Amino acid sequence: MKKDLIDRLPLRNKRSSRENRIQGLDIVICVILVIYAFLIIFPFWNAFVISISSENAYLTSNLLLWPTELDLSAYKEVFSNDQLWGGFGITMILLIGGTTYQLFFTVITGYALSRSNWTGKNLVMNMILVTMFFGGGLLPYYHLIKTLGMMDTIWVMIIPGAIDTFNMLLMRNYFASLPKEMEESAKIDGANDIIIFVKIFLPLSLPMLATIGLFFAVGNWNSWYNAYVFITNRHDLWPLQMVLRTMISKISSNIEKPDAVDAFSQGLTMASIFFTIVPMMCFYPFLQRYFVKGIVVGAIKG
Amino acid sequence: MELVTIAKRNSRIRKFGTKLGRSKYLIFMIIPAIVFYIVFNYIPMYGITMAFKEFNPRLGILGSPWNGIENFIAVFEEPKFWVAFKNTLIIGSVKIVISFLGAVLVALLLNELRMRRTKKTIQTIVTFPHFLSWVVVAGFVISIFAYHGAINSIIEIFGGTRINFMKDTSFYFGAYFLSDIWKEAGWGSIIYLATMAGIPQDQYEAADIDGANRLQKIWHITLPGIKPTAILLLIMSVGGVLSAGFDQILNLTPEMYMDQVGIIDTYIFFHSIRGTDGAGVGTAIGLFKSVISFILVITVDRIAKLCGERGII
Repeated sequence: MKKDLIDRLPLRNKRSSRENRIQGLDIVICVILVIYAFLIIFPFWNAFVISISSENAYLTSNLLLWPTELDLSAYKEVFSNDQLWGGFGITMILLIGGTTYQLFFTVITGYALSRSNWTGKNLVMNMILVTMFFGGGLLPYYHLIKTLGMMDTIWVMIIPGAIDTFNMLLMRNYFASLPKEMEESAKIDGANDIIIFVKIFLPLSLPMLATIGLFFAVGNWNSWYNAYVFITNRHDLWPLQMVLRTMISKISSNIEKPDAVDAFSQGLTMASIFFTIVPMMCFYPFLQRYFVKGIVVGAIKG
Repeated sequence: MELVTIAKRNSRIRKFGTKLGRSKYLIFMIIPAIVFYIVFNYIPMYGITMAFKEFNPRLGILGSPWNGIENFIAVFEEPKFWVAFKNTLIIGSVKIVISFLGAVLVALLLNELRMRRTKKTIQTIVTFPHFLSWVVVAGFVISIFAYHGAINSIIEIFGGTRINFMKDTSFYFGAYFLSDIWKEAGWGSIIYLATMAGIPQDQYEAADIDGANRLQKIWHITLPGIKPTAILLLIMSVGGVLSAGFDQILNLTPEMYMDQVGIIDTYIFFHSIRGTDGAGVGTAIGLFKSVISFILVITVDRIAKLCGERGII
């Protein structure tokens, strides 16, 4: 509230009145941006209208800008579709379990690397930085997962993602920027590193934790790639996005006969898309500033 | 003499021991990270040796016989690989250019927009697609360009006939670029907007006194102000030019067109992991790709340094 007020105060009151008037250029800029925003929104709107239209309306009308024949059967189908709900369950496991797991390991690693001078710190740091530039590639990784016996298990979508190097470094820089005196005085009082971390540094870094946690959460919500590559036989372990992907690729591979829309899969797929993005659409406007903060802090310090 | 050395050494070991003991909790915290990086990053690096072996799953990486550069020869003699290679270069480099221009343009427009409320709303709208998965974006692309989709409807309204876009391979290149801009331009603009906010205001004030108009201020102050950030981001994106958006293309392209409009990564995926090419060949392509990416980053970094800019290495 207070910050908003400061934002609204004029920073330079010396500015001439000519500068503060809305000019022709402002209108041009505004119009361009509004068109751009419209182009971003249009696919969402188009998909939404298709999802609540009847098959007949979709096939006969020219441009569906407004639902002409309301038909909610696609949503009925989505909400009674076991595969989608199964995918939703798996995604929820990834969202809650995976995010906690990633946050835990990323944050403790970042903390350890932010403390000064313990034996071998530079070695570990270099070992981690090297992996940002070199990697084994897709095939050796695939072979590793196979050797570890993680194919067709839910673990392949969780375990390897323990530490995200970029977010870990973000966390490390944040911890390093907090005053060192707190650690020193706590040490004199007899606290060990774990107590200092849990009782002093963690409470101070809650905004940063929220930022990183949100990035992890979005990643888990959108997770499909690991399932696509490594889970080929156990379709019951597919997360939501992977189930959706199979529905979409069914449409797109129906290239030869574009006229034959079987069981109105377009409407059903668009309804499923909404099933997966509505939660994000509801939260995003309120959480946007955390996301923006993450990328800006990372860019300036990293 | 001997005794003194031994005593010295012992005391040094003891000192090392107490130092280790003092930081034992921190070391305890870092152990999981060491294990994870070794298992999931360093063991696959060792797996690169498969590129020089005739890999046999029964014998494992160590047991498989070496075969020199046969895997590489097999790849380089395959015309389909060169199609994928050419596609990768085209898609990757065009994407770097358009995503850079798109992000800077959006940032400039938003920066110049003086209506605070509108600016905030527009920013929220245009950054949102970044958080959609490519699965969802591919769903949008397919629905809009479908035979009964919006684009075809517009064509029909203007008296044209409906086109079956999905059947035309050149459509996919357009779809890659368009969807990439649609999804990432808004998000990419944030970093430039933050940089623009950091440009000292007195420069603009001085320009005002000199009577500069807005376009002149953009050209002479804002653009030079974001130049270091832009160059840094460009150098970093060059490293990913050969990756060209694996997850995007996996979702936008039907499997039957992968050989025509796919990239190196999809070639590895569909020929080695899902196909019959074998792990050795796939690893060889991966190694080839990493080496070229590395050379590209070094080269661009050198060029930037020669031009008097700060590099990354």
